Amino acid sequence: MATELRFLVVDDFSTMRRIVRNLLKESGFTDSEEAEDGVVALQKLQNGNFNFVISDINMPHMNGFELLAEIQKIDKLKRVPVLMVTAEARKEDIVLAAQKGAAGFIVKPFTKATLEDKINLILTKYGMK
Amino acid sequence: MQTADPTPGTTHDAPTGLNADIHHSIGALTRQLHNALQALGLTDKFKGLAGELPDAKSRLSYISRLTGEAAEKVLNRVDLAKADHDLILVQTRAMSQRLHAAPTAMPSAAELLAFLANVEGTTRQADEHLTEIMMAQDFHDLTGQVIAKVVTLAANVEEQLVQLLIQTAPHDAVTKPVTAGGTPTEATAHYQPALSGPAMNPQDNPDVVSGQSEVDDLLASLGF
Repeated sequence: MATELRFLVVDDFSTMRRIVRNLLKESGFTDSEEAEDGVVALQKLQNGNFNFVISDINMPHMNGFELLAEIQKIDKLKRVPVLMVTAEARKEDIVLAAQKGAAGFIVKPFTKATLEDKINLILTKYGMK
Repeated sequence: MQTADPTPGTTHDAPTGLNADIHHSIGALTRQLHNALQALGLTDKFKGLAGELPDAKSRLSYISRLTGEAAEKVLNRVDLAKADHDLILVQTRAMSQRLHAAPTAMPSAAELLAFLANVEGTTRQADEHLTEIMMAQDFHDLTGQVIAKVVTLAANVEEQLVQLLIQTAPHDAVTKPVTAGGTPTEATAHYQPALSGPAMNPQDNPDVVSGQSEVDDLLASLGF
């Protein structure tokens, strides 16, 4: 099941998108795409069958919180888990992300083990495993 | 007023009267600057900017530290990976030479299995080194965000100084206000401190988390 999941990695830094996608691949999740901001991500989400979103917060055009809010408004997307991976270390941002419906929160810099751990927890929680 | 000697490097030899005049001129300029700042309402803004400069300094130190750590991490992992590869190279070469020297004297199954286990283990280690080298590149994202903030601060300081220059310059010297980001007022209005970005000194700030375990604890305490 896990290897069939389709991930969308959203981050304005291409380096970070590559790192996260490589880590996903190493963890057996070979199907992933990327978007450089919330606007592009939303377009891709509406046109593709994505099962999981990994998103940064601080991005131009549409940030991670705004993307999360948009996802929650769309019926076919609101069950898609969104894992926030961000450098924003303020406690209020972490709480806000949880209140807005984020499935998890990872603070940068992170390790491969942390990413795998959070993805597995979310997959279990959402009955996707 | 006395005319200053235009020859460079002669200031120290100038007569006392000239020094007094220069001193008087600097004093007048300082007063003019002070009055201009007050009249333009920039005093508070400059105070604010002065407060932000230590923050910029701290952010630049953070970039220096993070890039240094990333470079160190990559070099250490490369050293380890090269040592692993050297080991495999030596063992493979030895096995190859042995087979070439005596093609009929095949190594035992146990020897072959030990060799293969070595290759497999070392390759796995090399893969871990490569993953760590890849992970070390996350400094680009973290420092990039910090650099963007420092650039915004520098642009803001520049705009304030340009505005001051325009307002205090003689009228005939100013044809039109030219600034990097539109009129100074617009540029100032555009300056908005964005999200806080990476935690640089989390130990000194109770509002930020110091790492993933603190994030997990915070969310757990809130029932998430």
